[in-house]
Amino acid sequence: MSWLRYSFAVFLYLLQCTDAVFEDQVGKFDWRQQYVGNVRFAFFDTHSQASKKLLVATEKNIFASLNSRTGELFWRHVDKTGPEGNIDALLVHGQDAVVVVGDGRVLRCWETNIGGLNWEVLLDTGSFQSAAFIGVQDFVKYVAVLKKSAISLHYLSNGHQKWVENLPDSDTVQYQTVYSGGQGEVLVLGLVPNSHIVIVSYNIEDGEIMEQMSVEAPWMSSLEESCVVVGRGILLCIDPITLSLYTLPLNLEEKAEMNQILLQSLDLEVSSGFQPLLTATQPNPARPPLTAFFLQLGPEHHILLDLSDGIITALRDFKPSRLATFATTGEKTVVGVMAPKNETACSINLFTVDTGRRLLDTTVIYHLDPSGGKPNKLHIQAFLKKDDSVGYRAMVQTEDFALTFLQQPGRVVWSREEALADVITMEMVDLPLTGTQAELEGEFGKKAAIQDGLFAMVLKRLSSQLILLQTTIGHLWKLFYDARKPRSQVKNEVTFETLSRDEFNLQKMMVMVTASGKLFGIDSKSGSILWKHYLENIQPDSAFNLMVQRTTAHFPHPPQCTLLVKDKETGLASLHVFNPIFGKKSHISVPALPRPILQTLLLPLMDQDYGKILLLIDDQYKVTAFPSNKNVLQQLQESASSIYFYLVDSSQGRLSGFRLRKDLSSELIWEVVIPVEVQKIVEVKGKRPNEHVHSQGRVMGDRSVLYKYLNPNLLAVVTESTDTHQERSFVGIVLIDGVTGRIIHDAVQKKAKGPVHFVHSENWVVYEYWNVKSRRIEFSVLELFEGMELYNSTVFSSLDRPHPPQVLQQSYIFPSPISTLEATLTEKGITSRHLLVGLPSGAILSLPKMFLDPRRPEMVSDQSREENLIPYAPELPIRAEWFINYNQTVARVRGIYTAPSGLESTCLVVAYGLDIYQTRVYPSKQFDVLKDDYDYVLISSVLLGLFFATMISKRLAEVKLLNRAWR
Amino acid sequence: MPSVRHTRLQCQVFVILIGVCACFSDVDPVSIATATGMQTNGDAFKIEGRAIVPGVRLQDWISTARVIVEGEEHVGFFRVDGIFTVNDVPAGSYVVQVVSPLYRFEPVRVDITTKGKMRARLVNYIKPSEVVRLPYPLQMRSIGPHSYFVKRETWGWSDFLMNPMVMMMVLPLVVIVLLPKVVNTNDPEMRREMEQSMNMLNPNHELPDVSEFMTKLFSSKSPTKTGGVVGRVPKGGATKRR
Repeated sequence: MSWLRYSFAVFLYLLQCTDAVFEDQVGKFDWRQQYVGNVRFAFFDTHSQASKKLLVATEKNIFASLNSRTGELFWRHVDKTGPEGNIDALLVHGQDAVVVVGDGRVLRCWETNIGGLNWEVLLDTGSFQSAAFIGVQDFVKYVAVLKKSAISLHYLSNGHQKWVENLPDSDTVQYQTVYSGGQGEVLVLGLVPNSHIVIVSYNIEDGEIMEQMSVEAPWMSSLEESCVVVGRGILLCIDPITLSLYTLPLNLEEKAEMNQILLQSLDLEVSSGFQPLLTATQPNPARPPLTAFFLQLGPEHHILLDLSDGIITALRDFKPSRLATFATTGEKTVVGVMAPKNETACSINLFTVDTGRRLLDTTVIYHLDPSGGKPNKLHIQAFLKKDDSVGYRAMVQTEDFALTFLQQPGRVVWSREEALADVITMEMVDLPLTGTQAELEGEFGKKAAIQDGLFAMVLKRLSSQLILLQTTIGHLWKLFYDARKPRSQVKNEVTFETLSRDEFNLQKMMVMVTASGKLFGIDSKSGSILWKHYLENIQPDSAFNLMVQRTTAHFPHPPQCTLLVKDKETGLASLHVFNPIFGKKSHISVPALPRPILQTLLLPLMDQDYGKILLLIDDQYKVTAFPSNKNVLQQLQESASSIYFYLVDSSQGRLSGFRLRKDLSSELIWEVVIPVEVQKIVEVKGKRPNEHVHSQGRVMGDRSVLYKYLNPNLLAVVTESTDTHQERSFVGIVLIDGVTGRIIHDAVQKKAKGPVHFVHSENWVVYEYWNVKSRRIEFSVLELFEGMELYNSTVFSSLDRPHPPQVLQQSYIFPSPISTLEATLTEKGITSRHLLVGLPSGAILSLPKMFLDPRRPEMVSDQSREENLIPYAPELPIRAEWFINYNQTVARVRGIYTAPSGLESTCLVVAYGLDIYQTRVYPSKQFDVLKDDYDYVLISSVLLGLFFATMISKRLAEVKLLNRAWR
Repeated sequence: MPSVRHTRLQCQVFVILIGVCACFSDVDPVSIATATGMQTNGDAFKIEGRAIVPGVRLQDWISTARVIVEGEEHVGFFRVDGIFTVNDVPAGSYVVQVVSPLYRFEPVRVDITTKGKMRARLVNYIKPSEVVRLPYPLQMRSIGPHSYFVKRETWGWSDFLMNPMVMMMVLPLVVIVLLPKVVNTNDPEMRREMEQSMNMLNPNHELPDVSEFMTKLFSSKSPTKTGGVVGRVPKGGATKRR
């Protein structure tokens, strides 16, 4: 029960140190952007004319409803990641959306207005093939789900299974499609590749096989890719080899044959090497599909055809045309076609489906984004105007995962950058100085002083002061002007012109790299995207490494970022060098990298243009420098003996340290092998290079100093056991000096397993693991101290540190699973540190590092009280006040980025995952600026009051003295 | 004799307590522990329950809420009637949480044996084997909205005046300033009465009394002060008049 007493003490302590968001600060300096990921299925709600819903299911296993007028989310449901949450199919009927999830494992029906489930049923295992609504007498009543070997029918109203039947000969026949024309029939189409098609007809009431027939089709290899159902149950297939269409009536009793129609006979020609594609539409699942269909003959050639009574007629030829799609509103179905207009724009037009006639006044111009990808999907939301003509809005999906919603005549209503749902890495770059600031800087430049004479310099000085005065007045005027407007109307439009560093460097440029290969530059204050750049030909699943080579501090040299893109399979890498403020690609020549890159190293050394030198180490341990000119090579030669790097080979469990030679080759210095049979290396982390530690030691209760072991070369290596049995699994942590390879400390956590999240900073490592025995998450902290005396207080050298550090460790229970872990970072490291813990609920907890201090005593003593140590309590507290993002949860938080600001008290935080959230935290409160709730009125009134009081009392005292003198 | 009876009574109470404990821990934790060990084989089960937020309509919160089991290992969604199901959960012991950005719910630990027997209990991380049973299917009841925000310290006269420090300063001041005006201290009868009452309150004459000290201080000061001024003024006046 003693812990209870301690927790009470902790509680008392907490009362003093509340660091939280105030309600009036909501949205003041934080923002969140919610994303859904690349859209796989999208449906406009056509249930009613006024409906604004756009239902999307995405590759990120998300089902969401968007507001089609604004592009914002109505609601969003985040399923688990991986194939178990994968959305296989989405069917929409009225208010209900039926979703098949996890390779046909779960069938869900969502109520789209509320965003809750109508029902959810678990299906038998089996690989999912297709799903369809089954209509009976103009009424959609059932959902059919086709698996590899079975078909099941469910009531749409409650999800109950009506019947489930095994498919005949499912080991040889690949059943791929289920079709219903609305007359209560259930047809399952299967295929034996290059042999024949199988059509099975089921009785809707009891699932009995009514009919079964097979039709010869020796040319067909896939039913799904080459066939559609058109009109009243006619199967239409295309054969890319003989270039002919085949038709087959599905409801024939006797043995039928496919009717071949050569494309040549229709005067159609397929572009060479192009696989022709068929597209048909069934606007209402209770009615048969339309007779019109699209045939795509080339990458920019579509044709609208019509099949009635076995005769194919061409309705309209669209050449050139990029995308074509059907859209239905009420009883009317139209065709939307996107055609290239010129280099930078496309036009979208509507055509009637029955005649192919162009509808007047339906042109929408879509401007291609030069920094984006090509459009690859077109969604049309058609609606009936008051005069019964068809109006529409269009949503264009591009290959860089962007959605653009357009209105006539080409106004972009909204756009969403869904690539941001998958941010891999990011950096924050200081904004440049304004023009006037830059001019002031330029005035003191060396070159200017030599060129101009004394008089010119004086003039220049005066003029720059004038400009400064002018901008100050302008700024004040703007402040005054804005203050009179209500707060909601004040819009700070951020453009490149207004983009400049603020007083405390709180506004920065966020450079974000996404998995799709699209780069973004986002203003950290407003969250608006200032630039984007799509890198084409990026292999999926590539690794990215973003480095800031030159910051904005070196005017007039532009800032420079380098992105290393590495193909995970081959290991081959390429460099993309760009300006992080404007996103423009730099013209600097980039070294060719013919060999796989193992490691990159950004040196603190700079070339003559103030760019940090980047070293790239390939698989032959050869080093390439970027930039590589004479100056750089000379610098490298001079300092080669003090440049060390390490390599990790987790497949062989090998950690090795190298030293750079003068000829840019390298020599092996040390090697540590961790046996892969027992444990595997999970992650290796050094310290952040931009981290400052202010105090060298800690003052103890008895006034002595405990010095920190601040080794900048220390690496923390986390290993996990290969044996996952709960009695034998363990997590290991090894601290290795990266220069000498000396193992500083080595700890094993028994009966523990990953995933391990850890932070390595200053003289401590905090790591988190799953305790298998007690089934809980535990945090452990390691702190390293030199002892009471410092060996060499001026400089740290790994080669000259004879005494091993003292290691203190303590562990705690954390009452929640965690997603990610990061520590706050400030300019000078004076502010106390907090740990930022991303929780699966989407909250980001700011946990004071003070709670993870191995010196927390079990028994409170005077000394520990003097040191402000909290008594040990096994459980770490989680309090809602510590959630820095209050109710703005970040779904699937993957990483937290922290950056120092110009203010020592303030740390900028960006949490990214599915959403992006940016805020500021003050780990030791705002000690260096006045708080924003500072009561100016009170302080000035008190001051004024005191002033007048002294004046009056002085006067009174004088009068009194005078009176007394007269007495 | 009474002491003996007392101890016997204590013993009885103790025995009853043990009995209660035994009732609670009817499923031994060892079998569950082995169940977690072999998660991979065996059937998958489903966790069911219902969640309510008192006083709030379901459609106002279920679209932003979901059920997560042991991190995001398994996810469940809410039906429009507030019932949730988490499918495909293998045997083991899990912490089930209802997460909503608006409302707080207590997590519940659910144990599933390999045979599919379910049990819900309170989450206790410090003593993981302690069993305090909860109903199954789960009944999650919100314990109110999240308190994300701290109230700002607002400045008001009432706060200022009700501050204990201010009260301690102001009240004696009032007493010192007002009392001499209300009570005429020059009246000898009154003074005697007051002295008497003071003596009654403070019977110990040895101890220096605070009030006495204060009165002394004030009474001794004011005459000297006035005296000093009076003494000086005539001088100055005299010189001036000359």
